[in-house]
Amino acid sequence: MVTPMPRVQVPSAVTKGEIFQVKALISHQMETGLRHDSEGNVIPRKIIERFVCRYNGVDVFVVDLHEAVAANPYFEFYLRATESGQLDFIWEEDGGDVYSLAHQFIVA
Amino acid sequence: MPEEIRATVLTRRELFVTGAAGLASATIVPPASASDDAVELIERLTGKTPTATERLHLVMPQTFPNGYTVPLSLDIDSPMTQNDHVKYVRVVAPRNPLIEVATFHFVPQYSQPRVSTRIRLAEPQYVVAVAEMNDGTLLMTKTWVDVATNGCI
Repeated sequence: MVTPMPRVQVPSAVTKGEIFQVKALISHQMETGLRHDSEGNVIPRKIIERFVCRYNGVDVFVVDLHEAVAANPYFEFYLRATESGQLDFIWEEDGGDVYSLAHQFIVA
Repeated sequence: MPEEIRATVLTRRELFVTGAAGLASATIVPPASASDDAVELIERLTGKTPTATERLHLVMPQTFPNGYTVPLSLDIDSPMTQNDHVKYVRVVAPRNPLIEVATFHFVPQYSQPRVSTRIRLAEPQYVVAVAEMNDGTLLMTKTWVDVATNGCI
């Protein structure tokens, strides 16, 4: 499988108190474990099962994903700007692998 | 958290077999009567009775060419204060082989109760969203989505 590639889109600067949009995507097959290959063997389940957006250490948006989330899981969500700092984006795969991205962020 | 995962992996078959409705009635239910189904389903999943609401908006296309990647948007009317906020919204596709879709957790003061994503649907069905508010009440809504091709999940 190709290594999952996370991507996020966050505005470069926002004003305090403003609600801003975040787009987060990871390239991932989201293999359900229900499919079979041409020899009839089950293709093992491999999905991202949790996504976390952390704002200066606080979990501010969390998703529990199941098999019915489409391949290349994409979330568009909205946060309130409180202070400058770091946004962490974390994707946890069911086998224990974790993919993440950090984003420095200025609140004026 | 393996225990937690196992607890939430519910197949459609398990659900119907455990439910009083039985498999036979479940397979012949026309879409028109699916609203009671949804309430019953949520009661079985959560142990609580949900209330239908105008505050919870689940926006999906009424018809969509393929079930692999169906757009879904959720939006809840809530001030998101400590005393009045949405804890999470759980999305269920009752006619998928695995009915759980995703659960979105929101945090008062920080996140807005609004999200867009893309999901898989195995067949035309009502997609159900349930929101738990901070006082423990459950709000529910559902929307009919007709998919032309199976999302193969």
